[in-house]
Amino acid sequence: MNWISRQFTTRVIVLIPVAIAINIVLGYTVQTVLKLPIYLDSIGTIFVGVLAGPIAGALTGILSNLIWQYAPVIGGGTIGPFAITAGVIGFLAGIWGYLGVFRPRPASGSQLALSAIVAAALAIVVVLPLINNPIYTDPNQGGFVSWAVPAAIVIAIVVAIVVGAFIYLRRDLAGLWVAIAGILTGVIAAIVSAPISAIAFGGVTGSGTDLIVAALRQGGADVLQASLGQGFFSDPIDKLITSFVVFLILVSLSPRFLARFPLGERLTRPATPSQPSMGDTPS
Amino acid sequence: MVALTTALIALGVRGWSPPLIVLLAMLTLVLYAGAGRRYLPYLLATSPILLSIILINTFLYPANDVAFTLGPLVATASGLTAAGQATLRVLAFATSVALFALTTRTDELVDDLERRGLGRRAAFVVSTAIGTVPRMVERAREIVEAQRARGLDTQGGVRGRVRGLLPLAGPLVLGALTEVEQRTMALEARAFSAPGHRTVLRPYPDSARERALRWGLTVLTIVLLVGEVGGALGWLP
Amino acid sequence: MTLTLERVSYRYAGAAAPVLHEIDLTLEPGRVLGLVGQNGAGKSTLCVVAVGLAPRTIGGELSGSVRIDDADTATASAPQLAQRAGILFQEPHTQLASSAPSVWEEVAFGPRNLALPLDDVVERTWSAIDALGIGAIAERDPGRLSGGQAQLVALAGVLALRPRYLVLDEPTSQLDPLGTRLVGEALARAAQSTGAGILIVEHKTNLLARLCNEVAVISDGRLVLNGNSDEVLANARLTEWGVAPPAERRLRRTAESAGLAWQAEWSST
Repeated sequence: MNWISRQFTTRVIVLIPVAIAINIVLGYTVQTVLKLPIYLDSIGTIFVGVLAGPIAGALTGILSNLIWQYAPVIGGGTIGPFAITAGVIGFLAGIWGYLGVFRPRPASGSQLALSAIVAAALAIVVVLPLINNPIYTDPNQGGFVSWAVPAAIVIAIVVAIVVGAFIYLRRDLAGLWVAIAGILTGVIAAIVSAPISAIAFGGVTGSGTDLIVAALRQGGADVLQASLGQGFFSDPIDKLITSFVVFLILVSLSPRFLARFPLGERLTRPATPSQPSMGDTPS
Repeated sequence: MVALTTALIALGVRGWSPPLIVLLAMLTLVLYAGAGRRYLPYLLATSPILLSIILINTFLYPANDVAFTLGPLVATASGLTAAGQATLRVLAFATSVALFALTTRTDELVDDLERRGLGRRAAFVVSTAIGTVPRMVERAREIVEAQRARGLDTQGGVRGRVRGLLPLAGPLVLGALTEVEQRTMALEARAFSAPGHRTVLRPYPDSARERALRWGLTVLTIVLLVGEVGGALGWLP
Repeated sequence: MTLTLERVSYRYAGAAAPVLHEIDLTLEPGRVLGLVGQNGAGKSTLCVVAVGLAPRTIGGELSGSVRIDDADTATASAPQLAQRAGILFQEPHTQLASSAPSVWEEVAFGPRNLALPLDDVVERTWSAIDALGIGAIAERDPGRLSGGQAQLVALAGVLALRPRYLVLDEPTSQLDPLGTRLVGEALARAAQSTGAGILIVEHKTNLLARLCNEVAVISDGRLVLNGNSDEVLANARLTEWGVAPPAERRLRRTAESAGLAWQAEWSST
């Protein structure tokens, strides 16, 4: 029990509402105002998880969803039940925090190039599920479905380039681990969300991603499979982007600031630069 | 408490009648509370998902019992059933959310929870989070306006919108983080981490009737959900 | 019993070099001590060290000792320290700790945290509010106050804990002239009525000239001057340490060097 309460120092208590507000404001702006096909409502959750621990991260996610659901003006809709997913995301982020995934790992040379290529390949793999599905032209929804495949290809290429360049230009291996953590989080999030969506809402979410659900159903998937397929398209990319955003924020903060958080120590570069290998086990 | 249990019932139990009952019950309460007009936005907020539910489930449900055809589109009876039930579930849920949101004052709720042993840190997190959201929306609006004055395009295509995201997210996040240290010191300097329970300012009366209602609903929800999972509720229409 | 810093040096967590070097300072109840110095000289650091927020809350390494009455800041808990020494920062709105719906509840935040009986909480809150004359805004929403009003509310919140010492870190620097005057007058009243020992950091040396018994000058983390306020503020080396002498002294010096005798009624006090 002490392990849990140590995650909730006063500083963390101050951070959590800020993280919740960032989740809600950015998520609302991205999904409703800018109408982009990603969620981007977990930046705060992952941030808290990495800095403070799994329970704090989970709590941030759960509260974000609940408060958003019941908020005046921007509330309503169907976010609430996905608090479970948000809790899982936050919990995972805490685990990544413990493992020191988000710690910068300077590297150079072939190690760097190799990891850049691996990360780029991962990005493409992530987007593949959509392209593989047979797309029928459906007169009722034909116009929309036809852009799904080219869009997926573009997204895959862009993400691959961004991730690879990120690792290479920053000479930082951490990019690879962050990418892996992000994709894993996304996959798990999709697996957790699909049953919730299928049972409660007949497998749809009311946003642009439903077009993907429609396409999948046309291909013969049942309710759960279609939800899962849609999740596998949106979630890994969303969590990948979110994880990178969190990583960028963390590296731009001073060690002084980070050190004051429960898991802050695991985010700072070791004092004497050693030769980190790909199998570097974080302390 | 009421809201949580009704929400769970509304979403968790299959069939037509449970969502219908919940919907009617919630609707009556909403009208009784005189919140009819303010209820509409919550209702409208569900229209995108309702549209999706109806269209996708009617025409794309994995079943073969054709009900009617509309040109090249084939509607299945199971699809229609699923669509109808899902619609009712969503409406019931939304109404329950609206009821709770419209009739509960969050500070009273948080105070009450704290009195029952929630702890000052949790109470602080919830009430501050609720208060920070409007403040941040304001700040976000200011940032977007400032960016727009500098020529940022928020209406354009996908690329334009993505490019528009960073100038908004950056200042918003960094601005919020710089305050964290200040606020932490301010809290500690006001003895926030002192042990024990904070002094209660306003005791809230809790009638036996309310307590009975709470317990009754909790038990009912558990029974219904367990029954649903266990497959014992197939007899409901 | 006093608030005493003895040979205090302090380094922030994760920083390379200490910000404070061998500071010796004593604050007595009922006296007002001003602190001046250039930006970056260590004034704000000295404030958080003096009330014990460093190292207890923000970490860092403290050598030497800081004693507030009977408590040592290295060993006492934050709530214990909060009841002995209070602190007011520059930025008004981040200090309104509790997102309470009314000013009254915001001021009551401190006493409530200590789990004091309801009567005590009510009594302390009202006496703090009255001491600063903000009874008229007691029902207002703290989020909608002007800068000066918010500072007064924050100060009331601190006073509600009845600290024997009060540290003010540039309390008027974010305020417009009206707010500055509001807070300055309230401070003068509070100083008298509470009998607390006050350490006030300010660039506005006019304000210090009016309020302080003693003034200390800090430069590069060391105290270079500490004494009676009139003497210190008249010291010719002030500008060397990045401090602007009070306007009145500059005028007086200019007048005297021009051969005029300084008339008593020209003083603004």
